[in-house]
Order: sequence, then C-alpha cells, then structure tokens
Amino acid sequence: MEFLTEQFGNWRFYLLGSYPTGPVGGLAANLMMAILCLSLGLVAGIVLGLGRLSRHNFLRWPCAVCVEVIRATPALLLVFWFAFFLPSVAGRNLPLFWGAVLGLSAHAAAYQAEIVRAGILAVPGGQFDAALASGMTRIQATRLVVLPQAFRMMLPAFASFAISLFKDTSIVYIIGIVDLVQTGVIVSQRQPNRMLATYICMAMGFFVVCRSMASVAKILEKRVGALSVPQTPPMAVEHREMKQE
Amino acid sequence: MSQLHYNFDWGIAFRHPYSDWLVTGIEITLLVAVVTSILSFFLGTLLAVMRQSRIWIFRMLASAYVGLVRNIPGLFWLLFFYFVFPEILPFGWGARLNACNCYPVVASIIALTVNNSAYVSDIVRAGLLAVPAGQREAAMSAGLSRSQQYISVLLPQAVRIMLPPLSTRMIHNFKNTSLCMAISAPELTWATQQIESLTFRGLEVTALATGFYCAVALTLGGVARMLEKHWQTRIRNEEPWTSRLYGILD
Repeated sequence: MEFLTEQFGNWRFYLLGSYPTGPVGGLAANLMMAILCLSLGLVAGIVLGLGRLSRHNFLRWPCAVCVEVIRATPALLLVFWFAFFLPSVAGRNLPLFWGAVLGLSAHAAAYQAEIVRAGILAVPGGQFDAALASGMTRIQATRLVVLPQAFRMMLPAFASFAISLFKDTSIVYIIGIVDLVQTGVIVSQRQPNRMLATYICMAMGFFVVCRSMASVAKILEKRVGALSVPQTPPMAVEHREMKQE
Repeated sequence: MSQLHYNFDWGIAFRHPYSDWLVTGIEITLLVAVVTSILSFFLGTLLAVMRQSRIWIFRMLASAYVGLVRNIPGLFWLLFFYFVFPEILPFGWGARLNACNCYPVVASIIALTVNNSAYVSDIVRAGLLAVPAGQREAAMSAGLSRSQQYISVLLPQAVRIMLPPLSTRMIHNFKNTSLCMAISAPELTWATQQIESLTFRGLEVTALATGFYCAVALTLGGVARMLEKHWQTRIRNEEPWTSRLYGILD
C-alpha cells in the first residue's frame, strides 16, 4: 500500500497542475472545461434543438444537418478543428485551452440539442395546444409552458451527459493541455518505477468525481420521476366526456 | 468577407507516402472498430448475464467491473494497457509485448473492448429486463436449462429491444477509435496528424478524415434505423422516452 500512499505527496500537482506558478491544470482543468463546455453547449443546444423542431424548413434543415454531422464526428477531431485548423484558416491566434473548450462545446451542443428535442417531444402535445388556445403566441407557449416542463424531464439526461462530457474532457491530453491525464503521465515519466501508482491516482481522480456526479444524477432521477408531467389518466377523460353528453 | 489565410492543396492526400498512410489508417480504424465491437458485444453479454446470476460472487464481480470502467474515461484505459500493462506482467512477457510492432493496435483493441463492454453490458441488461417475465417462466416450464433459456428465448428477444441503444453505442465505439492515436496506433487520425507534422498540410487530410468518420457513422446509423423499423416490437413502444438516449449518453 505504501507505493500508493507516497503518491499523495503529489496531490497538489494532480489536483491543480502547476497552478500558482503556471496555468491551472490537473483535475481542476478537467472540471473547469466540463463546466464551461456544458454551459456553452447548453445555450447552443437549446437553439439547435428548438431549431430542429421549427415549422420552417430553412431553420429545421440546417439545424438537423449541424447536429447529425457533429454527432457523427469524433470529439477528438472537433477539438483538432477548433484548436488548430480554424485558427489557421482565419489567420488568428486562439489559446489552446479555448480551442479545446470550443471543440468540446460543439460536441456538447449537438448531444444536448438531441436531449432538448427528445424532452420537448415528451411533453404531451395538449399542453402546447392549450397554451395556444388560451391566447398565447407560439413563442410564449414554448417559453412559458412547454420548456419549463421539458427541462424538468430532461434533468436526468443532462446529468448523465454531464458525466460523459467530464470523461471526454480527458481527450485534451492529446493536444497537450495539462489535465489530470497529462499530470499522471508527467509524474509517471518522472518516476518510472512508480508507474502503476500514478495511473491508479489518475483513475481515482476520475472515479471519485464521476461516481459522485452519478449519485447526484440518481437523486435527480428519483425527484423528477415523482414530479413528472401529470398525465390525465384515461379514466378521467372518459368521465369528463360522459358528463358533457 | 476577409480572405482565407490558408492555401489549400488537396493533392496532398494522393501523393506517394501519404496516400498509403491514409489507406492503412482507414484499414486499421475499421479493423479496430469491427474487432472491438464484436469482442465487446460478447464480453458485455457475458457480464450482463453474470449480473443476473444466482451466484453472488459473479454478480459482485460483474457489477464492480462495470462500475469501475464506466466511471473512468476510455483514454485512461488506452494509456493503461499501452504503458502500464506490459510493466506489471510477470516473466518478461511485457518486454516481449513492447518489442512487438503491432502492440499499439493490440493494446487499443484490448482497451476499447474493456471500455465498451461495460456500456454494452448495461444495454444488454436493460434489454434482458425488458423481456416480459412470462417468457422466462414459459421457457422454464418447457424444460429448458438456464443457458438454453438465455440462448434461445431471452437473448433473441432482447436483441431486438436493445438494437437502437446498441447501435448508437457501437457508433460511439467506432468514433472512439480516433483516441488510439494517443498510443500511436497507426489509425486514420494518427495518419492525419503525422502528415500534419511532416508537411503542415493537416487541414486537408483532417477534412477528409472527418468526412470518412461522418460517412461511416451516418451510414451505420441509417442501417440501424432501417433494421429498427423492420423489427419494431410492441415492447419498445412502452419504454420511457429516456431509454432512447441510453446509448448516446456516457
């Protein structure tokens, strides 16, 4: 066990990278990236998801093509595009970190657009019709009636996507950002006879975060299950119709 | 509209050494994707059946494996099997592995199988649980043994239920092969980066690679959707909507 406990002397490097003297790295970089990409991706995802459900072909088709193409591209290639190739085409300089964030945000946007779309489709159509019938415009009906209900149902799916995105932030190791994987590799190169211990520490970092996110997701799922949109039971509908006659 | 700051040269993909690298890259990518999909399907099914076993040690082992693998990124397993696994093997087997030219490809196959099988096992498990309990009881009363129940009654029905999440998972696995460049397995993404570092013409070949990944992933998705329509079962319609997202999440 000693070979493992002596690794805890490096905890600062695993968690923060060379932070006070250099850029933030280690597990903190993964977490920061995951949070940034989730929020950027959520904004873009709502736009894309709503666009895919639009009545207008000129909105629906571009959104659908965007989502399908990005979903079919490996996240690593998206990161390459945003970190290396788009800046070189545009002739601008983009810090590597922000390139990686943009690439992963594009990835997140496509997946979250699918979640948003599935969530909206799961809201019973009667809700939208009822909102229109009470005099709301289509935008009001979507914003005030459909989306709040859809978001509540989307929460568990968002939570499990957040876990998967957090794991995907590890790919920034490949373009040379010092995230948790990179810190583990650096330590293992400094201490070649302690390789297994450094890898176990690296895995533990991911495991602890993902596991705790998963338990939060489970609680959310239970809550949402209790709160889900009240469906009128078929008996009640029959009853009402009978009374009207 | 400002001018693009890049002169395209698409011929790079057809010039002598580079075209060979790209073709080899496509071959390796497809090889790794197909082999890991098949292996992880069998391993995942085995794990799913183990998780429903009557023997507690099997249940515990399988759940521990799935819990461990699902909470650690796939890239970790690639690095682990490439760098660490040879070190901890006894009797100098590790040195022999490292000496082998094809070890990066072998390590990526092992790592992606390990990673993917955990997700597949969850999908198969959900599929098995969705088969109505009466089916197993009927099979039991028809005198089938437990293995016969799984092979001839439960799994064939479960496959149809789990086809949509399973196909998304396999497409995900295909896309994950791009991570193998981290351990220098000569697959497509690795070839594009190699060309980039030698000629600074990575943009064109990366565009081609992106097109290749998109084409394969979208085709597979289309085939899966056709099969799904062909097989549409009643059980599927009674699933909650979130199960449609099962395979694409984590």
